[in-house]
Amino acid sequence: MAIGVTLLVFSLLHLTGDPIRLLYGPNVPEEIVQQRRDELGLNRPVPVQYVLWVGRAVRGDLGESITAGGRVTAMIAARVGPTVELAGLALVVTLAVSLPAGVISATRRNTWLDSLSRVAALFWVSMPIFWLGLLFILAFGVWLHVLPISGRAETFWSLEGLRSHTLPVLTLGLPPAALFTRLTRSSMLEVIGEEYVRTARSKGLAEPAVIIRHALRNALIPVLTLIGLRLPWLFGGAVITETVFAWPGMGRLLVDAVLKRDYPVVQGIVLVMAALVVASSLLIDLLYSYVDPRIRYD
Amino acid sequence: MLVGLIFALVVGLAALFAGVIAPRDPTALDMDALLAPPGGRHLFGTDELGRDIFSRVIFGTRYALLIGVAVVLIEAVIGVVLGAAAAYFGGWPDAVLMRVVDVMLAVPTLVLALAIAGVLGGGLGNMILAIGVTGWREFARLIRGQVLIIRTSPYVEAARALGAGDLRVLARHVLPNALGTVIVFATLEMPAALLWAASLSFLGLGAQPPTPEWGAMVAEGRGFIGQAWWVSTFPGLAIMTTVLGFNFLGDGLRDLLDPRTARIL
Repeated sequence: MAIGVTLLVFSLLHLTGDPIRLLYGPNVPEEIVQQRRDELGLNRPVPVQYVLWVGRAVRGDLGESITAGGRVTAMIAARVGPTVELAGLALVVTLAVSLPAGVISATRRNTWLDSLSRVAALFWVSMPIFWLGLLFILAFGVWLHVLPISGRAETFWSLEGLRSHTLPVLTLGLPPAALFTRLTRSSMLEVIGEEYVRTARSKGLAEPAVIIRHALRNALIPVLTLIGLRLPWLFGGAVITETVFAWPGMGRLLVDAVLKRDYPVVQGIVLVMAALVVASSLLIDLLYSYVDPRIRYD
Repeated sequence: MLVGLIFALVVGLAALFAGVIAPRDPTALDMDALLAPPGGRHLFGTDELGRDIFSRVIFGTRYALLIGVAVVLIEAVIGVVLGAAAAYFGGWPDAVLMRVVDVMLAVPTLVLALAIAGVLGGGLGNMILAIGVTGWREFARLIRGQVLIIRTSPYVEAARALGAGDLRVLARHVLPNALGTVIVFATLEMPAALLWAASLSFLGLGAQPPTPEWGAMVAEGRGFIGQAWWVSTFPGLAIMTTVLGFNFLGDGLRDLLDPRTARIL
């Protein structure tokens, strides 16, 4: 897995052959290009470059930015926190909306509320999130003047923090909520028919206790699976959200680096994002055994 | 399903007859009406150069359909060829393909497409290529699954017993039977392709101004959101309705052709 990801990321740089020539354009003399290539080690054989790059990467050295001159690792390290925070809070919003909505949909099956949630789901999955972000900016920033439209306060735990985090987190968290609501609904419907739910009811437990302790907990397993499947989307969406709200995260750094053709930075961020996705998937695997004690990892 | 079909038809007709429907040239400047609000001479208002937004949105249907179809076509060709070959031959080709798919699943599609589009140098064609070579994974997995089932069926064995070579069996007996699935899945992939393309254009790596592409138009209007809400709003609405239409269509097609599929939405 690790070899595959690094190979993929590394070959990105070599797709076009000569990043320096692309960066400098055709009018810069060959000697300067050659000198810069020497400095960056781009004149060595490609397999050697790959081994050297991986060797440095595992020690936390992702090279040097071509345009900004700084160390890539330091540049990314400063940006990881805000991105993980944005993605994490968005996921919390997604679940906070979709779990109750899914349970309500399931317990009031085939009512107008249920049909409404089905149409709403298709509507929300069709939403381009950059546009949703702009609509939020328009409504809450430009017209109502109640929330800031860009930037990020240092900490979430303050009034300013809450205000600066609200729009980006909702932009990234709300669209997937519809999909999760539908899944929670169908998963709940399946579980409610099980015998252990009937047993819980027949031993006289109150309905909310049955739904939450016995049904929802078991219905969570497919929801966890969907979270795992949607993780890459979450980080991809963060790139767009960060750009819309000038959020100082990895995503914005990535877009800037791509537009400036700063390949070491692009490589580094793609690698870190892949690592984040893999790490979060592992976390979800661990959560499975917490939700369902029958699942164990030896 | 019906709703989706009507949606798709409307978008198709708009693309076909863009020249007739649109009241103005999508790139014509109207210096008397910079950032004019919707209504009157300009139904959706004008942008900062006085271009008619309604006309640009109408012409945008052409780009949306072109991009969507081209992306899905590239994805389908790569996915079908790799997926079918892997499943049919099994063994190490199959193992290698599945590893590659696993690896690519770890990197967010948008991030990978963004990086590839950046390396290729942006622009409409490069963006289509970047999304196409990134988005084929699901196709490959789906076709692999289908071919795994089909290759053990009696008619494939019969064809082989008659002496047909691997290529002939694949092309004449296996793939035609997987075609239905491919078409349904292509429709289901269309909304995702449209959203990715619009996102890349919004980020500045797809269609370049003055192309009337919706994602790029939303990005252009971003700077004027305080003075002129309509510049970004209408192209964005166009993206959403088109994607919604294809979602309805794909959903309906899937239910129609394969009632067994779990229905999440």
